This record gives sequence, C-alpha cells and structure tokens, in this order.
Amino acid sequence: MTDLFSQVFYKNIDFEGQRVTEKATHYALVIISIFSFLAGFALQSLQATFALFGGLVLVLSLVIIPPWPAYNAHPVEWLPSKGTKKSE
Amino acid sequence: MYSLYARVNNGFAFMSSCLMAMLAAIALSSFLFTADPKGQLTIFNFKVYASADAKADSRFQEIGLARFNLTADLTPLFHWNTKQLFIYVTAEYNNSDGTHNEVTMWDRIVRRKEDALIDVVAPPKYPLRDMRYSFKKSSPVQFALKYNLMPYVGALTYGEAARTEPQPFPPKVGKL
Repeated sequence: MTDLFSQVFYKNIDFEGQRVTEKATHYALVIISIFSFLAGFALQSLQATFALFGGLVLVLSLVIIPPWPAYNAHPVEWLPSKGTKKSE
Repeated sequence: MYSLYARVNNGFAFMSSCLMAMLAAIALSSFLFTADPKGQLTIFNFKVYASADAKADSRFQEIGLARFNLTADLTPLFHWNTKQLFIYVTAEYNNSDGTHNEVTMWDRIVRRKEDALIDVVAPPKYPLRDMRYSFKKSSPVQFALKYNLMPYVGALTYGEAARTEPQPFPPKVGKL
C-alpha cells in the first residue's frame, strides 16, 4: 500500500472531519439543487439546470471526497496507556 | 464518512434524492405555464369517394378527404419543460350508429420553438373511413386542430387550437 492511490483511498479522517464533511454535503447539495433549479427556471433552459447541478456537484466532490489534511487536524487523543494487569 | 468510499457512497445517495426532488419540482413547474394559443383552420375541397377496396361482403368503403388551410402560432406552448408538440387535425362526427368518432386526418411533430409557427396548405395524410362503410346518415362533421404537449418530466397535456363550423358530408362521387 505504498502507491498514491492506495494511500489516498484507504486513509481515514478523524471524527471532527467526518462531522464537517457530512454536514457540508447535506447543506451544499440542498443549496445546489435549489440554486440550479431557480437559475434554469429563470433562463428557461433545462440544460442550464443540469449543467449547473453537475458542475457544482463536481466542485463539491473535490472538496468533500479526498481526505484533505484539514480533515485530520483533530486526531483522537487517546488516554496514556496503563500497565497491563496480566501476569507475564 | 470515515473513508473515501463511505463519503462517495453517502454523497451519491443524497445527490440522487436531491435529483429526484428537482425532477418533481420541474414536473410541477409545468402547471405554471397556462398558454392557450388559438389558430385558424379552414377546410376546402371536402369530398367523399367510393373506394375500390373489396371488403369481405364486397361493399364499397366510402373514403372522406378534405384539403385544409391551417395557420397557428403555437410558440407560447414552448417552455423549459417542453420536449415536443404533437399537433393533429381531426374530423369529429357521429356516424349512422350514433357513435361519436374522432378521426385524425393529418399530424406533425414540432420539436423546436422556431417550428411552432404553423402555416400549412395541405392534403390529408390519412383518409376518413367509417366502420359502417358509408357516411350517408352521419351527422355533420367538425374539424379541429388539437395539440399534445410532451414534457421532459411530468404529465402529458392536451389542448385545442382551432375548430370549424359543422358541415355535412357531401354526397359520394366517383371512385378512388
């Protein structure tokens, strides 16, 4: 797992990053749908609606999907380990 | 959302829901457009012929043909959700049985707003033929221009753009 694809595909993000991306996709997709519907209705062109929708979703996916380092800025802070109680 | 695959999955599913909502909104927006254009339809040269088609009981089928002159401006019907218009000229009458008949004489598919200015002097594409073989005891016939608006998303809508006065069937002439 040393090539760039594997490193990107299998990298996890921390919980704060997950929360942010989930909220962002929901709000952004709703706003994109409403905006592209209204813009297409104003221009009276169904092509405009779907072109805007597709383009904006593409931009959104560039922001949301790759595991940017910003989404790993709040790593989980594990408590210090205590010694094991098992006898060795 | 912990991995790339999870984000793609969630995002795509929600995007599908948003698309469905948008398509429903587009279908509903058709109801905002209430254009009702009217045109002008005049019939001339309405003739009834005896056809030489032999039927099982060897009666002659009567064929009705009417040339017409049609002008109509159907451009108001083209809005963002209009895929195409199907326009057709019909002949409506009650035959000797009392059954109401509506026969399509001519039709055309209009795909662009520019093509929606109709100015046609044409012979009929399809003849008038009755199940009772003869138009002798039929009621007077009214010709009408009707259209069917086909949307990209949503319900088909129908309308009528022109209608003539009732005129009786002329007596049969010759053979076709």
